Amino acid sequence: MATPAHSLSYAGSNFLRQRLVLSTLSGRPVKIRKIRARDDDPGLRDFEASFIRLLDKVTNGSRIEINQTGTTLYYQPGLLYGGSVEHDCSVLRSIGYYLESLLCLAPFMKHPLRIVLRGVTNDQVDPSVDVLKATALPLLKQFGIDGESFELKVLRRGMPPGGGGEVFFSCPVRKVLKPIQLTDPGKIKRIRGMAYSVRVSPQMANRIVDSARSILNKFIPDIYIYTDHMKGVNSGKSPGFGLSLVAETTNGTFLSAELASNPQGQGTAMLPEDLGRNCAKLLLEEIYRGGCVDSTNQSLALLLMTLGQQDVSKVLLGPLSPYTIEFLRHLKSFFQIMFKIETKPCGEELKGGDKVLMTCVGTGFSNLSKTLK
Amino acid sequence: LREDGDLTEAGSCTLETSGALRWKEDLSRKAAEAFLRQQQTTPNLRKLIYGAVAEDDEKEDDAAEELGGLFRVSRPSRECRHKADSVDCSRFPVETPHDWDLEEVMDSIRDCFVTGKWEDDK
Repeated sequence: MATPAHSLSYAGSNFLRQRLVLSTLSGRPVKIRKIRARDDDPGLRDFEASFIRLLDKVTNGSRIEINQTGTTLYYQPGLLYGGSVEHDCSVLRSIGYYLESLLCLAPFMKHPLRIVLRGVTNDQVDPSVDVLKATALPLLKQFGIDGESFELKVLRRGMPPGGGGEVFFSCPVRKVLKPIQLTDPGKIKRIRGMAYSVRVSPQMANRIVDSARSILNKFIPDIYIYTDHMKGVNSGKSPGFGLSLVAETTNGTFLSAELASNPQGQGTAMLPEDLGRNCAKLLLEEIYRGGCVDSTNQSLALLLMTLGQQDVSKVLLGPLSPYTIEFLRHLKSFFQIMFKIETKPCGEELKGGDKVLMTCVGTGFSNLSKTLK
Repeated sequence: LREDGDLTEAGSCTLETSGALRWKEDLSRKAAEAFLRQQQTTPNLRKLIYGAVAEDDEKEDDAAEELGGLFRVSRPSRECRHKADSVDCSRFPVETPHDWDLEEVMDSIRDCFVTGKWEDDK
Protein backbone atom coordinates (compact mmCIF):
# COMPACT_ATOMS: atom_id res chain seq x y z
CA MET A 1 0.00 0.00 0.00
CA ALA A 2 2.46 2.61 1.18
CA THR A 3 5.46 2.91 -1.08
CA PRO A 4 8.89 3.75 0.32
CA ALA A 5 8.60 7.16 -1.31
CA HIS A 6 5.89 8.07 1.18
CA SER A 7 7.87 7.17 4.23
CA LEU A 8 9.95 9.78 6.01
CA SER A 9 13.45 9.03 7.15
CA TYR A 10 15.25 10.36 10.20
CA ALA A 11 18.43 9.62 12.10
CA GLY A 12 19.03 9.40 15.82
CA SER A 13 17.03 8.55 18.89
CA ASN A 14 16.08 12.10 19.78
CA PHE A 15 12.47 13.23 19.10
CA LEU A 16 11.42 9.60 18.71
CA ARG A 17 8.03 10.20 20.32
CA GLN A 18 7.02 13.14 18.17
CA ARG A 19 8.06 11.33 15.02
CA LEU A 20 6.00 8.27 15.86
CA VAL A 21 3.02 10.33 17.03
CA LEU A 22 2.97 12.46 13.88
CA SER A 23 3.43 9.36 11.77
CA THR A 24 0.40 7.78 13.44
CA LEU A 25 -1.76 10.87 12.98
CA SER A 26 -0.74 11.53 9.39
CA GLY A 27 -0.65 7.87 8.36
CA ARG A 28 2.80 8.24 6.85
CA PRO A 29 5.29 5.49 7.64
CA VAL A 30 8.54 6.57 9.21
CA LYS A 31 11.99 5.07 9.27
CA ILE A 32 14.48 6.00 11.95
CA ARG A 33 18.09 5.00 11.43
CA LYS A 34 21.28 5.29 13.42
CA ILE A 35 19.63 5.06 16.80
CA ARG A 36 22.61 5.49 19.13
CA ALA A 37 24.71 3.86 16.40
CA ARG A 38 27.97 5.18 17.86
CA ASP A 39 27.08 4.44 21.43
CA ASP A 40 28.76 1.69 23.46
CA ASP A 41 25.31 0.31 24.06
CA PRO A 42 23.66 0.87 20.66
CA GLY A 43 20.02 0.77 19.74
CA LEU A 44 16.71 1.45 21.39
CA ARG A 45 16.51 1.59 25.16
CA ASP A 46 13.96 -0.20 27.31
CA PHE A 47 11.83 2.89 27.78
CA GLU A 48 11.63 3.43 24.03
CA ALA A 49 10.74 -0.20 23.42
CA SER A 50 8.03 0.22 26.05
CA PHE A 51 6.77 3.31 24.23
CA ILE A 52 6.59 1.42 20.95
CA ARG A 53 4.66 -1.39 22.67
CA LEU A 54 2.24 1.20 24.04
CA LEU A 55 1.69 2.60 20.53
CA ASP A 56 1.05 -0.93 19.33
CA LYS A 57 -1.57 -1.37 22.07
CA VAL A 58 -3.58 1.74 21.24
CA THR A 59 -3.47 1.21 17.47
CA ASN A 60 -4.74 -1.57 15.28
CA GLY A 61 -2.70 -2.93 12.41
CA SER A 62 0.58 -1.11 13.01
CA ARG A 63 3.66 -2.68 11.51
CA ILE A 64 6.85 -2.29 13.48
CA GLU A 65 10.19 -3.59 12.31
CA ILE A 66 13.35 -3.26 14.35
CA ASN A 67 16.69 -4.61 13.22
CA GLN A 68 18.76 -6.93 15.35
CA THR A 69 20.89 -4.28 17.00
CA GLY A 70 17.91 -2.00 17.51
CA THR A 71 19.54 0.85 15.62
CA THR A 72 16.91 1.01 12.87
CA LEU A 73 13.19 1.27 13.37
CA TYR A 74 10.53 1.15 10.68
CA TYR A 75 7.03 2.10 11.72
CA GLN A 76 3.99 1.86 9.51
CA PRO A 77 1.08 3.22 11.51
CA GLY A 78 -2.26 1.50 11.80
CA LEU A 79 -5.56 2.99 12.91
CA LEU A 80 -5.95 4.56 16.32
CA TYR A 81 -8.21 2.17 18.15
CA GLY A 82 -8.26 3.14 21.83
CA GLY A 83 -10.52 1.36 24.28
CA SER A 84 -9.48 0.00 27.68
CA VAL A 85 -5.74 -0.52 27.89
CA GLU A 86 -3.22 -1.27 30.62
CA HIS A 87 0.46 -0.64 30.25
CA ASP A 88 3.54 -1.12 32.39
CA CYS A 89 5.86 1.76 31.60
CA SER A 90 9.61 1.47 31.97
CA VAL A 91 10.91 2.97 35.22
CA LEU A 92 13.78 4.64 33.34
CA ARG A 93 11.42 7.45 32.33
CA SER A 94 8.35 8.71 34.12
CA ILE A 95 4.76 8.15 33.05
CA GLY A 96 4.77 11.74 31.80
CA TYR A 97 6.98 10.61 28.91
CA TYR A 98 4.26 8.24 27.75
CA LEU A 99 1.36 10.44 28.73
CA GLU A 100 2.54 13.40 26.66
CA SER A 101 2.18 11.36 23.49
CA LEU A 102 -1.11 9.84 24.59
CA LEU A 103 -2.48 13.35 25.07
CA CYS A 104 -1.70 14.02 21.40
CA LEU A 105 -3.32 10.82 20.20
CA ALA A 106 -6.26 10.25 22.56
CA PRO A 107 -8.76 12.68 20.95
CA PHE A 108 -8.44 10.87 17.62
CA MET A 109 -9.16 7.29 18.69
CA LYS A 110 -11.98 5.12 17.38
CA HIS A 111 -13.14 4.32 20.91
CA PRO A 112 -12.54 6.63 23.88
CA LEU A 113 -9.24 5.76 25.52
CA ARG A 114 -9.30 4.47 29.10
CA ILE A 115 -5.80 3.58 30.14
CA VAL A 116 -4.01 2.54 33.30
CA LEU A 117 -0.28 3.33 33.27
CA ARG A 118 2.11 1.93 35.84
CA GLY A 119 5.59 3.18 36.60
CA VAL A 120 7.19 6.37 37.88
CA THR A 121 4.77 9.26 38.40
CA ASN A 122 7.29 11.97 39.29
CA ASP A 123 10.92 12.28 38.29
CA GLN A 124 13.42 15.00 37.48
CA VAL A 125 13.41 14.59 33.70
CA ASP A 126 9.88 14.55 32.32
CA PRO A 127 6.81 16.61 33.14
CA SER A 128 5.06 14.84 35.99
CA VAL A 129 1.51 13.55 35.95
CA ASP A 130 0.50 16.33 38.36
CA VAL A 131 1.76 19.06 36.04
CA LEU A 132 0.17 17.50 32.98
CA LYS A 133 -3.10 17.21 34.85
CA ALA A 134 -2.97 20.87 35.83
CA THR A 135 -1.81 22.30 32.48
CA ALA A 136 -2.43 19.96 29.53
CA LEU A 137 -6.01 19.04 30.43
CA PRO A 138 -7.24 22.67 30.54
CA LEU A 139 -5.41 23.22 27.25
CA LEU A 140 -7.25 20.32 25.58
CA LYS A 141 -10.50 21.76 26.89
CA GLN A 142 -9.83 24.94 24.90
CA PHE A 143 -9.95 22.80 21.77
CA GLY A 144 -13.35 21.39 22.69
CA ILE A 145 -12.16 18.12 24.20
CA ASP A 146 -14.23 17.93 27.32
CA GLY A 147 -16.74 15.85 29.20
CA GLU A 148 -17.10 13.98 32.46
CA SER A 149 -15.07 11.08 31.11
CA PHE A 150 -12.08 13.39 30.66
CA GLU A 151 -9.86 12.73 33.63
CA LEU A 152 -6.38 12.02 34.82
CA LYS A 153 -5.94 10.51 38.27
CA VAL A 154 -2.90 9.54 40.28
CA LEU A 155 -3.97 6.32 41.99
CA ARG A 156 -0.55 5.49 43.39
CA ARG A 157 2.55 7.59 43.51
CA GLY A 158 5.87 6.08 42.48
CA MET A 159 9.27 7.71 42.59
CA PRO A 160 12.42 6.57 40.79
CA PRO A 161 14.30 4.27 40.84
CA GLY A 162 11.70 1.76 42.03
CA GLY A 163 8.53 3.21 40.57
CA GLY A 164 5.35 1.46 41.59
CA GLY A 165 3.02 4.33 40.74
CA GLU A 166 -0.28 4.02 38.94
CA VAL A 167 -2.20 6.53 36.87
CA PHE A 168 -5.60 6.41 35.23
CA PHE A 169 -6.28 8.49 32.12
CA SER A 170 -9.46 8.62 30.11
CA CYS A 171 -10.23 10.93 27.23
CA PRO A 172 -13.30 11.35 25.03
CA VAL A 173 -12.95 11.33 21.22
CA ARG A 174 -13.82 14.20 18.94
CA LYS A 175 -14.50 14.30 15.24
CA VAL A 176 -13.21 17.82 14.77
CA LEU A 177 -11.35 20.28 16.98
CA LYS A 178 -12.25 23.89 17.61
CA PRO A 179 -9.82 26.53 16.40
CA ILE A 180 -8.35 28.66 19.19
CA GLN A 181 -7.51 32.33 19.58
CA LEU A 182 -5.26 32.58 22.60
CA THR A 183 -3.54 35.91 22.26
CA ASP A 184 -3.96 37.43 25.69
CA PRO A 185 -2.82 35.40 28.67
CA GLY A 186 -4.49 37.74 31.16
CA LYS A 187 -3.11 38.23 34.63
CA ILE A 188 -2.19 35.66 37.21
CA LYS A 189 -4.93 35.49 39.79
CA ARG A 190 -3.79 32.55 41.89
CA ILE A 191 -1.06 30.02 42.40
CA ARG A 192 -1.83 26.44 43.31
CA GLY A 193 0.56 23.67 44.02
CA MET A 194 1.02 20.16 45.23
CA ALA A 195 3.79 19.13 47.59
CA TYR A 196 4.05 15.38 47.75
CA SER A 197 6.08 13.01 49.84
CA VAL A 198 6.25 9.24 49.82
CA ARG A 199 8.10 6.95 52.19
CA VAL A 200 9.62 9.92 54.01
CA SER A 201 8.30 11.98 56.90
CA PRO A 202 5.03 13.76 56.01
CA GLN A 203 6.64 16.83 57.54
CA MET A 204 8.79 17.16 54.37
CA ALA A 205 5.79 18.38 52.39
CA ASN A 206 5.03 21.05 54.98
CA ARG A 207 8.62 22.29 54.92
CA ILE A 208 8.44 22.55 51.11
CA VAL A 209 5.20 24.52 51.30
CA ASP A 210 6.58 27.07 53.76
CA SER A 211 9.71 27.80 51.76
CA ALA A 212 7.88 28.08 48.42
CA ARG A 213 5.32 30.44 49.94
CA SER A 214 8.04 32.68 51.34
CA ILE A 215 9.08 33.57 47.79
CA LEU A 216 5.73 33.63 46.01
CA ASN A 217 3.97 35.69 48.68
CA LYS A 218 5.92 38.74 47.51
CA PHE A 219 3.89 38.69 44.30
CA ILE A 220 0.40 37.51 45.10
CA PRO A 221 -1.49 36.59 48.26
CA ASP A 222 -3.74 33.89 46.76
CA ILE A 223 -1.50 30.84 47.10
CA TYR A 224 -2.56 27.41 48.18
CA ILE A 225 -0.23 24.44 48.10
CA TYR A 226 -1.82 21.10 48.86
CA THR A 227 0.18 18.46 50.65
CA ASP A 228 -0.16 14.91 49.48
CA HIS A 229 1.31 12.11 51.52
CA MET A 230 0.47 8.69 50.19
CA LYS A 231 0.92 5.68 52.44
CA GLY A 232 1.34 1.95 52.24
CA VAL A 233 0.94 0.37 48.84
CA ASN A 234 -0.03 3.74 47.34
CA SER A 235 3.41 5.17 48.02
CA GLY A 236 5.32 3.10 45.49
CA LYS A 237 8.65 1.45 46.00
CA SER A 238 11.10 4.33 46.54
CA PRO A 239 11.21 7.30 48.89
CA GLY A 240 11.11 10.84 47.62
CA PHE A 241 9.38 14.20 47.71
CA GLY A 242 8.77 17.10 45.40
CA LEU A 243 6.67 20.08 44.46
CA SER A 244 4.69 21.19 41.44
CA LEU A 245 3.39 24.73 41.13
CA VAL A 246 0.81 26.14 38.73
CA ALA A 247 -0.07 29.80 38.16
CA GLU A 248 -3.57 30.39 36.82
CA THR A 249 -4.49 33.56 34.97
CA THR A 250 -7.77 35.40 34.55
CA ASN A 251 -8.02 34.10 30.95
CA GLY A 252 -7.48 30.46 31.81
CA THR A 253 -3.78 30.10 31.09
CA PHE A 254 -1.80 27.71 33.27
CA LEU A 255 1.95 28.11 33.74
CA SER A 256 3.77 25.45 35.65
CA ALA A 257 7.06 24.53 37.29
CA GLU A 258 8.18 21.52 39.25
CA LEU A 259 11.06 19.91 41.04
CA ALA A 260 11.60 16.47 42.52
CA SER A 261 14.13 15.19 45.00
CA ASN A 262 17.13 13.18 43.82
CA PRO A 263 16.30 9.49 43.39
CA GLN A 264 17.37 7.25 46.23
CA GLY A 265 21.06 6.42 45.95
CA GLN A 266 21.79 9.10 43.31
CA GLY A 267 23.26 12.49 44.03
CA THR A 268 23.27 14.23 47.35
CA ALA A 269 20.34 14.55 49.68
CA MET A 270 18.25 17.62 48.98
CA LEU A 271 16.78 19.83 51.65
CA PRO A 272 13.03 20.33 51.26
CA GLU A 273 13.52 24.06 51.97
CA ASP A 274 15.93 24.41 49.04
CA LEU A 275 13.63 22.43 46.78
CA GLY A 276 10.67 24.63 47.65
CA ARG A 277 12.58 27.86 47.07
CA ASN A 278 14.15 26.68 43.80
CA CYS A 279 10.82 25.48 42.49
CA ALA A 280 9.19 28.83 43.31
CA LYS A 281 11.99 30.55 41.37
CA LEU A 282 11.43 28.21 38.44
CA LEU A 283 7.79 29.26 38.42
CA LEU A 284 8.87 32.90 38.31
CA GLU A 285 11.11 32.04 35.33
CA GLU A 286 8.16 30.43 33.62
CA ILE A 287 6.06 33.52 34.30
CA TYR A 288 8.88 35.63 32.86
CA ARG A 289 8.77 33.54 29.69
CA GLY A 290 5.00 33.84 29.72
CA GLY A 291 2.59 33.23 26.87
CA CYS A 292 -0.77 31.50 26.84
CA VAL A 293 0.67 28.00 27.01
CA ASP A 294 3.50 26.93 29.29
CA SER A 295 6.78 25.75 27.84
CA THR A 296 6.17 22.01 28.21
CA ASN A 297 2.84 22.10 26.37
CA GLN A 298 3.85 24.32 23.44
CA SER A 299 4.07 21.41 21.03
CA LEU A 300 0.72 19.97 22.12
CA ALA A 301 -0.98 23.29 21.44
CA LEU A 302 0.69 23.63 18.03
CA LEU A 303 -0.29 20.08 17.08
CA LEU A 304 -3.94 20.59 17.94
CA MET A 305 -3.94 23.88 16.04
CA THR A 306 -2.58 22.05 12.99
CA LEU A 307 -5.22 19.36 13.28
CA GLY A 308 -8.05 21.86 13.71
CA GLN A 309 -10.73 22.80 11.21
CA GLN A 310 -9.77 24.85 8.20
CA ASP A 311 -9.81 28.03 10.16
CA VAL A 312 -7.23 30.38 11.60
CA SER A 313 -5.81 29.55 15.02
CA LYS A 314 -3.58 31.85 16.99
CA VAL A 315 -1.58 31.34 20.11
CA LEU A 316 0.85 33.55 21.98
CA LEU A 317 3.85 31.66 23.33
CA GLY A 318 6.95 32.44 25.30
CA PRO A 319 10.33 31.66 23.74
CA LEU A 320 10.14 28.44 21.74
CA SER A 321 11.85 25.45 23.32
CA PRO A 322 14.27 23.33 21.25
CA TYR A 323 11.72 20.51 21.41
CA THR A 324 9.04 22.80 19.97
CA ILE A 325 11.32 24.05 17.20
CA GLU A 326 12.00 20.50 16.09
CA PHE A 327 8.29 19.77 16.39
CA LEU A 328 7.49 22.65 14.01
CA ARG A 329 9.90 21.17 11.47
CA HIS A 330 8.24 17.81 11.83
CA LEU A 331 4.78 19.35 11.44
CA LYS A 332 5.99 20.79 8.16
CA SER A 333 7.24 17.47 6.83
CA PHE A 334 4.26 15.41 7.99
CA PHE A 335 1.38 17.84 7.43
CA GLN A 336 2.90 20.51 5.13
CA ILE A 337 1.85 23.14 7.63
CA MET A 338 4.03 26.18 8.18
CA PHE A 339 3.25 28.60 10.95
CA LYS A 340 3.37 32.34 10.69
CA ILE A 341 5.76 33.40 13.41
CA GLU A 342 5.79 36.96 14.73
CA THR A 343 7.94 38.22 17.55
CA LYS A 344 6.12 40.44 20.01
CA PRO A 345 8.55 42.57 21.97
CA CYS A 346 7.28 43.39 25.39
CA GLY A 347 8.10 47.10 25.35
CA GLU A 348 7.47 49.20 28.40
CA GLU A 349 5.19 46.80 30.23
CA LEU A 350 6.61 44.81 33.09
CA LYS A 351 5.53 41.46 31.76
CA GLY A 352 8.72 39.49 31.37
CA GLY A 353 10.48 38.58 28.15
CA ASP A 354 9.54 38.73 24.48
CA LYS A 355 6.70 36.61 23.22
CA VAL A 356 6.04 34.84 19.93
CA LEU A 357 2.69 34.86 18.16
CA MET A 358 2.07 31.66 16.21
CA THR A 359 -0.63 31.60 13.55
CA CYS A 360 -1.74 28.78 11.28
CA VAL A 361 -4.68 27.48 9.29
CA GLY A 362 -5.77 24.01 10.36
CA THR A 363 -5.50 21.12 7.93
CA GLY A 364 -9.17 20.26 8.39
CA PHE A 365 -8.18 16.95 9.91
CA SER A 366 -11.18 14.93 10.98
CA ASN A 367 -11.24 11.76 12.97
CA LEU A 368 -12.52 9.25 10.44
CA SER A 369 -12.16 6.27 12.74
CA LYS A 370 -14.62 7.69 15.27
CA THR A 371 -17.81 5.62 15.21
CA LEU A 372 -21.02 7.49 14.58
CA LYS A 373 -23.78 6.99 17.11
CA LEU B 1 59.08 56.43 10.57
CA ARG B 2 56.29 54.35 9.23
CA GLU B 3 54.12 55.19 12.19
CA ASP B 4 54.56 58.86 11.47
CA GLY B 5 53.53 58.42 7.88
CA ASP B 6 50.41 56.59 8.87
CA LEU B 7 49.44 59.20 11.34
CA THR B 8 49.81 62.10 8.97
CA GLU B 9 47.88 60.29 6.31
CA ALA B 10 45.03 59.59 8.64
CA GLY B 11 45.14 63.15 9.90
CA SER B 12 45.02 64.67 6.45
CA CYS B 13 42.17 62.43 5.51
CA THR B 14 39.97 63.59 8.35
CA LEU B 15 40.94 67.18 7.71
CA GLU B 16 40.07 67.15 4.04
CA THR B 17 36.76 65.34 4.11
CA SER B 18 35.67 65.62 7.67
CA GLY B 19 32.06 66.27 6.71
CA ALA B 20 31.73 63.60 4.05
CA LEU B 21 33.28 60.84 6.09
CA ARG B 22 31.41 61.52 9.30
CA TRP B 23 29.15 58.51 8.72
CA LYS B 24 32.13 56.24 8.79
CA GLU B 25 33.26 57.38 12.18
CA ASP B 26 31.66 54.98 14.56
CA LEU B 27 30.81 52.28 12.11
CA SER B 28 31.84 49.50 14.43
CA ARG B 29 29.71 50.89 17.22
CA LYS B 30 26.73 51.20 14.89
CA ALA B 31 27.26 47.68 13.69
CA ALA B 32 27.43 46.43 17.24
CA GLU B 33 24.23 48.27 18.07
CA ALA B 34 22.44 46.91 15.03
CA PHE B 35 23.62 43.44 15.88
CA LEU B 36 22.38 43.72 19.44
CA ARG B 37 19.05 45.10 18.24
CA GLN B 38 18.71 42.13 15.92
CA GLN B 39 19.64 39.72 18.65
CA GLN B 40 17.08 41.18 20.97
CA THR B 41 14.21 40.96 18.54
CA THR B 42 15.19 37.35 17.72
CA PRO B 43 15.39 38.24 14.03
CA ASN B 44 13.89 35.80 11.68
CA LEU B 45 12.46 32.97 13.69
CA ARG B 46 10.83 31.59 10.59
CA LYS B 47 14.18 31.24 8.89
CA LEU B 48 15.68 29.75 12.00
CA ILE B 49 12.98 27.10 12.13
CA TYR B 50 12.09 26.29 8.56
CA GLY B 51 15.17 27.52 6.73
CA ALA B 52 17.46 25.16 8.56
CA VAL B 53 15.21 22.27 7.69
CA ALA B 54 15.74 22.60 3.96
CA GLU B 55 19.48 22.58 4.57
CA ASP B 56 19.18 19.48 6.67
CA ASP B 57 17.56 17.52 3.86
CA GLU B 58 20.28 18.47 1.41
CA LYS B 59 22.98 17.47 3.81
CA GLU B 60 21.31 14.13 4.30
CA ASP B 61 21.37 13.43 0.56
CA ASP B 62 25.02 14.36 0.29
CA ALA B 63 25.98 12.05 3.10
CA ALA B 64 24.22 9.15 1.41
CA GLU B 65 26.32 9.52 -1.73
CA GLU B 66 28.97 6.92 -2.13
CA LEU B 67 32.52 7.55 -3.19
CA GLY B 68 33.70 5.28 -5.97
CA GLY B 69 30.73 3.07 -5.35
CA LEU B 70 32.49 1.36 -2.48
CA PHE B 71 33.43 3.67 0.32
CA ARG B 72 31.29 6.20 2.02
CA VAL B 73 32.53 9.37 3.57
CA SER B 74 31.62 9.21 7.20
CA ARG B 75 31.64 12.61 8.76
CA PRO B 76 29.70 13.80 11.76
CA SER B 77 27.92 16.49 9.75
CA ARG B 78 27.08 19.67 11.60
CA GLU B 79 25.90 20.23 15.09
CA CYS B 80 22.68 18.33 14.46
CA ARG B 81 24.63 15.13 14.92
CA HIS B 82 25.40 15.62 18.56
CA LYS B 83 21.78 16.29 19.42
CA ALA B 84 20.51 13.43 17.28
CA ASP B 85 20.94 10.98 20.12
CA SER B 86 20.37 13.26 23.08
CA VAL B 87 17.52 12.91 25.56
CA ASP B 88 14.01 13.15 24.11
CA CYS B 89 12.39 15.53 26.57
CA SER B 90 9.85 18.30 26.17
CA ARG B 91 11.00 20.27 29.20
CA PHE B 92 12.66 23.58 28.50
CA PRO B 93 15.30 24.06 31.20
CA VAL B 94 16.24 27.60 32.17
CA GLU B 95 19.75 28.28 30.90
CA THR B 96 20.54 31.57 32.57
CA PRO B 97 18.42 31.90 35.68
CA HIS B 98 17.57 35.38 36.91
CA ASP B 99 18.40 36.39 40.43
CA TRP B 100 14.90 36.57 41.85
CA ASP B 101 16.11 38.14 45.09
CA LEU B 102 16.84 41.42 43.31
CA GLU B 103 14.11 44.01 43.39
CA GLU B 104 14.43 45.02 39.72
CA VAL B 105 14.26 41.40 38.54
CA MET B 106 11.14 40.90 40.62
CA ASP B 107 9.68 44.06 39.11
CA SER B 108 10.17 42.71 35.57
CA ILE B 109 7.15 40.41 35.98
CA ARG B 110 5.15 42.60 38.36
CA ASP B 111 2.38 43.30 35.82
CA CYS B 112 1.83 39.62 35.05
CA PHE B 113 -0.14 39.43 38.30
CA VAL B 114 -3.56 40.82 39.15
CA THR B 115 -1.79 42.83 41.83
CA GLY B 116 0.20 44.68 39.15
CA LYS B 117 -0.75 47.59 36.92
CA TRP B 118 -3.71 47.07 34.57
CA GLU B 119 -4.10 48.43 31.08
CA ASP B 120 -6.46 51.38 30.69
CA ASP B 121 -9.11 49.44 28.81
CA LYS B 122 -9.65 46.88 31.56
